[in-house]
Amino acid sequence: MTDATREIGFEQARALEERYLMRTYKRAPVDFVRGEGALLWDADGKRYLDFLTGISVCSVGHCHPDVVQAVHEQSQRLMHVSNLFYTEPMVRLAERLAESSLGGRVFFSNSGTEANECAIKIARKHAHGRGIAEPEIVSFESDFHGRSYGALAATPALAANEALGPMLPGFRAVPRNDASALREAVGESTAAVLIEPIQGESGVFPITDEALLAARQACDEVGALLIFDEIQTGIGRTGSLWAYEQTPVRPDVLTSAKALGGGYPIGACITGPAAAEVLEPGDHGSTFAGGPVATAAAIAVLDIVDDPVLLRHVRELGAYLCEKLEALDGVATTRGRGLMVGVGLEEGIDAAAVGSDLLERGLVVNAPRADTLRLLPPLVIDSDHVDLAVSLIEESLLGFSS
Amino acid sequence: MSRGGKPTDISKKQGSQKALRADTAERLEAIVEAAERAAESVIDDAEAQARRYLAQARAEADRMAVGRVGELGDLIETLLGQAISLRREAEGLQSTLEEAKARIEPGGAPPAEARQRPELAEEQEPEETPRLRAVPVEDAPAPAPTPSPERSSDAPGARLLATQMAVSGSSREEIAERLRNGFEIEDVEAILDAILGPEER
Repeated sequence: MTDATREIGFEQARALEERYLMRTYKRAPVDFVRGEGALLWDADGKRYLDFLTGISVCSVGHCHPDVVQAVHEQSQRLMHVSNLFYTEPMVRLAERLAESSLGGRVFFSNSGTEANECAIKIARKHAHGRGIAEPEIVSFESDFHGRSYGALAATPALAANEALGPMLPGFRAVPRNDASALREAVGESTAAVLIEPIQGESGVFPITDEALLAARQACDEVGALLIFDEIQTGIGRTGSLWAYEQTPVRPDVLTSAKALGGGYPIGACITGPAAAEVLEPGDHGSTFAGGPVATAAAIAVLDIVDDPVLLRHVRELGAYLCEKLEALDGVATTRGRGLMVGVGLEEGIDAAAVGSDLLERGLVVNAPRADTLRLLPPLVIDSDHVDLAVSLIEESLLGFSS
Repeated sequence: MSRGGKPTDISKKQGSQKALRADTAERLEAIVEAAERAAESVIDDAEAQARRYLAQARAEADRMAVGRVGELGDLIETLLGQAISLRREAEGLQSTLEEAKARIEPGGAPPAEARQRPELAEEQEPEETPRLRAVPVEDAPAPAPTPSPERSSDAPGARLLATQMAVSGSSREEIAERLRNGFEIEDVEAILDAILGPEER
């Protein structure tokens, strides 16, 4: 162990955080020091079952040996040279991503919000090419697309924070799943409709087929692009490599991140043919993006996840999880697809309090809204993990149900 | 050397010792030769045995290799057959996908590749002249009536949904359930047959 990786213990970690880190997060009082598969260990050696995976990042489980090996081998060989040169993992990953989805081109980034920035740039430049001087991007009110200014402007709940204004102009939002409002909002000045096919941060709400079809049709009528933000839904989370594969539409652009690197930061904006040639030299760039270590990690992740057997397992286990959850006292409903599950709790039960209680019991989840727990377990868990998680949730809810 | 009787005895003794040494040397030589012969024989035997073992091992390896090659040949043939079958299936799915895409682009919308490619650099007009102008609303083709996705096997998107699910590995049952739930299509068999082929009964 080097000095960089030595353990300092929870109390010291909390003291350093209190003194030196910006106050942007409200952290749970746990200092995780190790992970393996679906399990995490804190600094005191307590073991946890992880049904959050760092918000759908470690979808292949913590420290998957194939990902670790890819990172280890590549970091011993070459870590960074910038995008002024070719590196082999980058171009190989681009081929894998394009061929497994929309067939166009890929721009790599370091995060999901950056992937969405790229998509927004593509949409605006595409619109200028159609003669639109002030292009507009339409999204749903409870979408979450990121926290950089472009992505933030497409995230109405966060864009309402006037202290961060002024916001980027050219964005408008309509109520979730309101197909009529969406059709009305899309007009000649629309550059794109930007959609999460299943809204994650707002509480796991799938967009209806009707709304997706309306978006596709409206975009086609005016020549706008349909962009899917698959940052949380992609890479097998819903039981297909991409969530759009289980919808009646095909987007022109999609964005990916989170699980793509298996724990290593990476994002990607992937186009179909219609948008593949929009960005040209000088339009966009990044120093770190597409680096050899991140892209080697992502290739290892795709080798694991792009497997029909695993994807079927995700669909079946997701259905099993929902069935068991819906039988619990205190659970009103479940939402989602595959292993992206929102658990709607009965009225009066505080999801945040349940989440804290579950953490003490050794189950990691989160509460994206007051009445909802969000479960994003590793895709590689089995029914025993599900049974254990459900029994912990059941025990916890007993203390909260009236 | 010495003179008198003693020297004779000594001479005899010396002769006897010489003879003894010669005899001993001969016997030792004989022993060494015998030992060498024995050793050579042991080495020969060992080498012969090793050669026999080697020959047996090679024969066994050859036999196993022939067997494995045969098995691999069978496996390759099977895989090739499956690959050809998969390719045919993929081609069928692709054509269905294109059909489905065409169906959800009413009014003969141009193919995605041809749609609004922003070839700005070379094709931009001078600044004085307006750039590509948006089609006035009144000139735009009247939006096609929004088809309700419910209760129609021809519902836009139903075939694309089924095709995409099939390509991503979903089973016939999974696709059928999704079509029934998402589109409320009761008779999904026509779509499934078109995409996956008739179900073997």
